[in-house]
Amino acid sequence: MDRALYIAMSGAKQNTLGQTAEANNLANVNTTAFRRDFEHARSMPVFGDYYPTRAYAMEERPASDFNPGTLIHTGRDLDLGLDNQGWFAVLGPDGQEAYTRRGDTRVDELGRLINGEGYQLMGAGGPIVIPPYEQIEIAKDGVISIRAAGDEAAVIAEIDQLRLVLPDQTRLEKGEDGLFRVRDLQPGEAIPQAIDVQVVGEHLEHSNVNAVHSLTQIMSLHRQYEMQVKMMKTVDENAQVTSQIMDIQ
Amino acid sequence: MHSALWVAKTGLNAQDHGLTTVSNNLANVSTTGFKRDRAVFEDLIYQIQRQPGALSSQDSRLPSGLQLGTGVKVSGTQKIWTTGDLQETGQPLDLAINGRGFFQITLPDGNIAYTRDGTFHMDNAGQMVNVSGYLLEPNITIPDQTNTLTISKDGIVSATQVGETTPTEIGQIPMVDFINPAGLQAIGGNLFLQTASSGEPQEGVAGEAGYGSIEQGFLENSNVKVVEELVHMITVQRAYEMNSKVVSSADQMLQYLAQNT
Repeated sequence: MDRALYIAMSGAKQNTLGQTAEANNLANVNTTAFRRDFEHARSMPVFGDYYPTRAYAMEERPASDFNPGTLIHTGRDLDLGLDNQGWFAVLGPDGQEAYTRRGDTRVDELGRLINGEGYQLMGAGGPIVIPPYEQIEIAKDGVISIRAAGDEAAVIAEIDQLRLVLPDQTRLEKGEDGLFRVRDLQPGEAIPQAIDVQVVGEHLEHSNVNAVHSLTQIMSLHRQYEMQVKMMKTVDENAQVTSQIMDIQ
Repeated sequence: MHSALWVAKTGLNAQDHGLTTVSNNLANVSTTGFKRDRAVFEDLIYQIQRQPGALSSQDSRLPSGLQLGTGVKVSGTQKIWTTGDLQETGQPLDLAINGRGFFQITLPDGNIAYTRDGTFHMDNAGQMVNVSGYLLEPNITIPDQTNTLTISKDGIVSATQVGETTPTEIGQIPMVDFINPAGLQAIGGNLFLQTASSGEPQEGVAGEAGYGSIEQGFLENSNVKVVEELVHMITVQRAYEMNSKVVSSADQMLQYLAQNT
């Protein structure tokens, strides 16, 4: 039987994977500071005893889109956006530092500064803890100053500085938990505090998913899929005709 | 089946919750002391279909793998504790908190609830109660024949009887604050309960040590901004439509496959 059937089948299967990736982008079109995933297919020739005449399609997620999303004014003092490029450092579930753009923070019952996903934000010397305060101010460079509960208006205490980083984008990779980490981090290699990353207070960054693009891509993958199925049908018809010729009358 | 179906389903589910939040905010646009909610979305885990760096042949490696996201979830709703506008009403028992803090209300079961809604009334025994008739904690009884009632910024309630010129102090309304007010549990009726996440209530004197001051004759309006909610509603609705488009696209693909093979 003609192996073209398998090529068309794998194409159709990879199309559904691509569609899942775009569906995930669309599902997160309203998720704060979500980074869109790219999705593309690559031809994978099969090497073997013969010449590589067959090339299967293979779906890939090469990277995530690092273009900033729109900053939206919320008026809440603990909503933090980042101007242009840069990342907040958070304490990942593995106890290591990970990066996110998500800054919808709150102070929990232990005074820890945590974001909407529940990850604790890192400061200059580890996770940030904020004492009871009456007024909190987070400056452009991430310096957190508070007027502690009960203090005079003139007494402003500097608590910590948000750890803001700007690692090489080509080495950033989205993990299974949606946080970003630096790929192939050498032992002893530290990502320095970036001085040109600016915090925008009272703003939140919207998802950077372009709904029009994602929906169009889904439509395009849909039609491609139909063509693959059509190919499978054609191969099937060829096989039927062949067997009819061979029929003994 | 087609996994995009399930991913888009999570999207529909999340936008559905988003719309419920928006509509509840809009419904409470004129509720005294109401704090608007915000639906918090987060992306679900990613599944590695093909590991980046795996061998593609004997001496070549895949430059990038395939990690597929599994959609979105509503990780919760968050109360936004910005202060609403203070509106003058002129009623002596209308109280607003200017700054941080809560009033305490005794629930019928004896537990204490917390509120920023300062619309107080008098019951038949002269006690200060909230709109639902629950007692203010600590209980303050306004004597008969009270001509004027004054509540100072630090919560001292004093009444002047008919025929007298000097007011007598009849009680003090304390202020209670939490380290994480967003962790309080809303139970309806503008009331909140303490939770493990809000921390212990810390009682103090209004207007001192970081507690807000009490303003008599004012009420705190809802902090819902109508324009903002309507814009939210548009984004939620369109996101919902696009996710349902994905569902129908995946459905048509499966249908096409079933009919043509």
